[in-house]
Amino acid sequence: MIMASSPRNVFLQGGNTTEFSEPVLKLRRLSFSAPLGSPYIKAADRPRPRPRPHISCSAVTDKMPATVGGALDSNSLTARRLMTQTFIDQAELMTVSSTGKFGRFGGKFVPEALISCLSKLEAEFILALHDENFQEELATALRDYVGRESPLYFAKRLTDYYKNSEGKGPEIYLKREDLVHTGAHKINNAIAQAMLAKRIGRKRIVAATGAGQHGVATAAACAKLSLECTIFMGSADVGRQGANVLLIKNLGAQVKVVDGSFKDATSEAIRDWVGDLETSYFLSGTAVGPHPCPTIVREFQSVIGKETRKQAEEKWGGKPDVLVACVGSGSNALGMFHEFIRDEDVRLIGVEAAGIGLDSGAHSATLARGDVGVYHGSMSYLLQDEEGQIIGPHSIGVGLEYPGVSPELSFLKDTGRAEFYAVTDDEALDAYRRLCQLEGIFPALEASHALAYLEKLCPGLEDGAKVVVNCSGRGDKDAATVYKHNEGRV
Amino acid sequence: MAAFSTASVTPETAATPLSLPKPYRPSSAAFLRSLPRKFNRSPKTTSPSVFCTLTKQPMTSTEEEVILQRPDSFGRFGKFGGKYVPETLMYALSELEDAFKSLSADNEFQNELDGILRDYVGRETPLYFAERLTEHYRRPSGEGPHIYLKREDLNHTGAHKINNAIGQALLAKRLGKKRIIAETGAGQHGVATATVCARFGLECVIYMGAQDMERQALNVFRMRLLGAEVRPVHSGTATLKDATSEAIRDWVTNVESTHYILGSVAGPHPYPVMVREFHAVIGKETRKQALEKWGGKPDVLVACVGGGSNAMGLFDDFVDDKDVRLIGVEAAGFGIESGKHAATLTKGEVGVLHGAMSYLLQDEDGQIIEPHSISAGLDYPGVGPEHSFLKDIGRAEYFSVTDEEALEAFKRLSRLEGIIPALETSHAVAYLEKLCPTLPDGAKVVLNCSGRGDKDVQTAIKHLKL
Repeated sequence: MIMASSPRNVFLQGGNTTEFSEPVLKLRRLSFSAPLGSPYIKAADRPRPRPRPHISCSAVTDKMPATVGGALDSNSLTARRLMTQTFIDQAELMTVSSTGKFGRFGGKFVPEALISCLSKLEAEFILALHDENFQEELATALRDYVGRESPLYFAKRLTDYYKNSEGKGPEIYLKREDLVHTGAHKINNAIAQAMLAKRIGRKRIVAATGAGQHGVATAAACAKLSLECTIFMGSADVGRQGANVLLIKNLGAQVKVVDGSFKDATSEAIRDWVGDLETSYFLSGTAVGPHPCPTIVREFQSVIGKETRKQAEEKWGGKPDVLVACVGSGSNALGMFHEFIRDEDVRLIGVEAAGIGLDSGAHSATLARGDVGVYHGSMSYLLQDEEGQIIGPHSIGVGLEYPGVSPELSFLKDTGRAEFYAVTDDEALDAYRRLCQLEGIFPALEASHALAYLEKLCPGLEDGAKVVVNCSGRGDKDAATVYKHNEGRV
Repeated sequence: MAAFSTASVTPETAATPLSLPKPYRPSSAAFLRSLPRKFNRSPKTTSPSVFCTLTKQPMTSTEEEVILQRPDSFGRFGKFGGKYVPETLMYALSELEDAFKSLSADNEFQNELDGILRDYVGRETPLYFAERLTEHYRRPSGEGPHIYLKREDLNHTGAHKINNAIGQALLAKRLGKKRIIAETGAGQHGVATATVCARFGLECVIYMGAQDMERQALNVFRMRLLGAEVRPVHSGTATLKDATSEAIRDWVTNVESTHYILGSVAGPHPYPVMVREFHAVIGKETRKQALEKWGGKPDVLVACVGGGSNAMGLFDDFVDDKDVRLIGVEAAGFGIESGKHAATLTKGEVGVLHGAMSYLLQDEDGQIIEPHSISAGLDYPGVGPEHSFLKDIGRAEYFSVTDEEALEAFKRLSRLEGIIPALETSHAVAYLEKLCPTLPDGAKVVLNCSGRGDKDVQTAIKHLKL
C-alpha cells in the first residue's frame, strides 16, 4: 500500500521496511556520506566519516565548510534556499535517513545497546504515521480528549497597545495552546506517543519533566490509555512547581525525585529506560535526544502549525507574516514553525530565556550563547564551559530551563532561516501582567517570553502585518511564582 | 441579613405568645397587642397582612401549559422566580430585560458573541466518550450504559462560568455601562468576571467575603492581576451570601453606570432566564454532537447543582424532550441528616432569597442556614427558581452526594480518564455509582464536566492522603 502522492513523499510498502523505490535509493546513497547541500553531490563518493569522541572534536569546531559559509552571503541566497529545500526533502525522506542529521546537527550519539532500539522505534513510528486506523484514533483523541483545534484568537487590545501614534501597527493573533487539555501544548505529543507505545505493546511509560507540564500531560495520557507511568523530576523543580507534582500524583502516576533539575531528571529517566528496554517506553517531551526522538516530537507537535495555516487562510485569506514562539528545547516552536519552513515569506522568530541577563551567566539562551556539542544523544548548540561541562541554566520560566536545544532549531539558526533572540525574567513578568490586563488571558511564564519579544518586534513591523504568537500554555501554575516575586503586591 | 429574604409565615405554625424569643416576650397582654401584627402570633388573630399565598398554591395539573411558560412575563416558573426587589432596582431590571430580549433577536450581537465564544473561550467543547469510565460501569454480563463527558472544563478559565460572564459583559457594553460588579465565593466566578472585564476594558469590582478571601488568597491575587478591585465583605458570616447582599447594595446605589453580573440562574428576573440562555449553548452543542456521534439524543443528562447554571445550560435544550431524563446532583456535605450540607432541593423549603422565590435552606424562623460542602461552588443555600419548578412538576430528578463520595469520584475520573474534574463536577460523577447499575444496556449518559479540578488538588490530596 504505497501512498505516494508526490515524488517527495515516499512511503513504505506494507510492513516491509527494506523495499524502497528508485528516487529514494538514489538519495540514500547521497545522504549517508555527504553533508547536506547540492555542492556536495559530487562528494558522494567520499567515505563515511568515522564516529568521533564528543569532546573537542573537529566535527564540532568545523564551521560549515567554506563554500557553504560563502552560501550564507547575501548574494548567495539561492544557495541558502537550495540548502533549505534539500533539507526539507531530506527531512521528509527521513524514512531512509537513519542518521537523523539536520546538516551537521542531530544524529544518534548513543551506546551501541540503544542503536537497534532506536531503529525499531523509528520503524514503528513510520508505520504508525501511515496507518489509517492509528491516524483516525489519534485525530479523535486530539479532537475529543485534548480539545483541538485550538483557536487562533485576534488579540484586539494587545494589537491596539502596539499601535503607534498614527494608529498603525501589526495585527497580533494568539494560537491558543493554553486551552488544550492539561493547559499546554505538551499533550499533543504525549497522547500521540502514549498511543504509539500502546500500539507496540509497551506497558510502562517513563518520562522526565522540568516545569511539570510534560509530566502532567504524560500522566493524563497514561491514565486514559491505562498504562503505568513513572515521572522523573528534579528536586529544584519539585519545589518550584509543586502544583504540577500534585496533579501528576493525582492522575495515578509515580513521581521520582532526582537531585538537580531537568537535565538530571532526563539522564535518570534514560537510565531507568535502558534498564528495562523491553517493557518500558521513554516518552520524550522535547525535540531533543537521539534520532528519531526530535523528529517524532516535532511531527506530533506540527499539528499546531498545520491548524494555524488553515485558520490563517480562513481568517484573512493568507499566511502569517511573522511567527513567534518561546524556545526551551524547541517543541512548541518547531510545532509552529515546521509547517512554514518552506514559506520563505514567513519570518520565524524563536525567543529564549535570558534569565537575569545574558552576561550574568544565569540564563538559558542556548542559541545565543552556546557552542556546538553533543548532549543527550544528539549534536546541537548547548551551554557548556571551556572544558565541555554543562552549565546549569536559569530562567523564571522553568520550562525554558534546558542547557541544550533541538538540533533542528540549531540548523534553522545556522542556515539563517529562523531568528533567535532572548528576553530577561523581568521582561517576561511584564509581558505576563500585560496579557492578563489587556486580554484576560494568563500566559505561562514560558509563553510570556514570546509575548515579551513583541515589545522589540512590533515597532519594526509594517502596518497590518500578521503576527502569530504561540501561546504555548496557560499561566495558572505560575500565579504563585508571580505572587512571590511581587510579594503579594500587584 | 440579606435585603430580600422573607420567611414563609403561616398561621398554622404560630407559637403561643410566651414562646416568642426575647425581646418580644411580652410582659403583659397589652404589650402584646401593641406589637406589629406579624409578631402577634396568638391563634385568635386572623392571618397577618404580609402573607404569601403563592407558596401554598398547588402546581397546576396540566403539564403542557406549565412547561411552555419558562418563564412567564412576570419572570415566574410556575410559582417560583419573580422579582422580589426594592423599588429602586425595578427600572434597572426592566431595562435589562428589554435589552436582553432585543439582543437575543439581534444577529450582529449573536455573531459577535459566537465569534468570542469560538476564538476566546474555545467553543465548541467536545463531547468525549469516556471509554475507561464506561468500562468501569460495565456489568459482568458485559452490559452497561455509555458515558460521555461534555468538556466544559476545556473552556478558557476552566469552567462553564465564562459563557455567562462573556454574554453579560457584551450586554453591559451594549447598554453603555462602564462598570461591572460581581460577588464570588471561592473566586471562580470572580476570576471569570475579571477576565471578561479585562478583555472588554471595563472597570471591575468584585465583592468577596473576608473569610473566603483568606482561604482563597491566590484567586484574589489572580483577580487583582486581571485589573479588578476585590472588596472584602465583613458583615454576617463574611461568606458568599453576604458578598451577594453587598453587591446588590452597590448595584442599588450605582444602577445608572453599573451592571451586576450574577453568576448563576438565581436572583430576580431577568437573571435566571438570561444566565440560562447564555449557558444554553452547552445543551445545543450536546444535541448536535449526540446526533453526529450516535445519530440520536442522550438518554440521561447528569449535572451538579449549586445555584444551577451549568445544569440549566445542559438541560434547557432537552426540557421538552420527555424521553430524556434530567438529573441534578447537589452537595450532601457531611450527610443530609447532619445539618451540614447544601442540598437545597432535598431539604429546603420555599422562600424568597436574593430576589427570587425558590427552595432554600432556612430554619424555623426563616433565617438562612449556612450551607456546607467541600466544593465552594455548590456551597449556596438557595437554588435557581427554574430548578425548583422542574422538581415540583417532576420533570427533573434531584439527588445528593456527600463530600466523601465526591472525593472518591474526583480520584476515579482522574485515574481512569486522566481528566481532573472540579470538586463540584465530582458530585455529578459520584452519582454515576448509583445511576449506572439501573440503566439498560447502551443507554447514553451525558455528564456535564462543568470545570477542571486544578484548583482543588490541594484540598483533595489533603483529604485523600495521597
